[in-house]
Amino acid sequence: MKIRVTSVMVDNQDKALKFYTEVLGFVKKTEVPLGEHKWLTVVSKEEQDGVELLLEPMGFEPAKVYQKALFEAGIPLTAFNVDDLDKEYKRLLKLGVVFSTPPTQMGTVKLAVLNDTCGNNIQLVQIL
Amino acid sequence: MNYYQTELTRIRNQFFAKEDLIKRVIHGKRFIDSNFSKRLNLNTVAGEAYIAKFHFIRTFKTFYGLTPYQYLTSVRIQSAKKLLRRNHNVSEVCLAVGFESVNSFTNLFKKITGTPPAYFRSSQNTKSNFR
Repeated sequence: MKIRVTSVMVDNQDKALKFYTEVLGFVKKTEVPLGEHKWLTVVSKEEQDGVELLLEPMGFEPAKVYQKALFEAGIPLTAFNVDDLDKEYKRLLKLGVVFSTPPTQMGTVKLAVLNDTCGNNIQLVQIL
Repeated sequence: MNYYQTELTRIRNQFFAKEDLIKRVIHGKRFIDSNFSKRLNLNTVAGEAYIAKFHFIRTFKTFYGLTPYQYLTSVRIQSAKKLLRRNHNVSEVCLAVGFESVNSFTNLFKKITGTPPAYFRSSQNTKSNFR
């Protein structure tokens, strides 16, 4: 058994694709039309054979409640690793990304939390 | 402050208050990152971090979830995978990532990745030929 796909719930797939590729820097891997939505995944530029991130359309009402509650509490839906968090933070700030938590050291990791503009907080993590 | 930030602050104050110790452990880990291809022993790494050996092992495991030796092995195997993908031969890779014996390298590589290094190398290069 292997982990091949994980997902983030997004309010709009096209907007999400733009943010996750043009701002965060991921690469589109799969786009398969499925009625009003699509199976849409992105991968890390450095690991294009790695785990795919599904930009999952928000079609299920209870999920909206869950997403909103997480967002309001500032809790990240998921986390991505970076090699140099301070550098990435500066790069993303220049692109207009909003951070609810700036780079903060927690023991041997450094983390920051950003707004993905699709309804989620996303945590960036650097292992020190 | 939102709920998450409040929790981060609480956890940081409760578990990560010893800043000097954390700095030393990070220094030890970075020493492994930069020197994994050399002959390394625990005394050297703990000495670099200025922490007594057994305290270093315990603290390293608390912070990173692995003992320093497990971490060193994992860095070596990850590096070996990169070299094998570039089609370097197994004995060359074995020495380049800090192992002294091809047998122990092969056994450990197989134990961790599930495939022997020679098989990993050929399967990776077959994949790239199809791209």
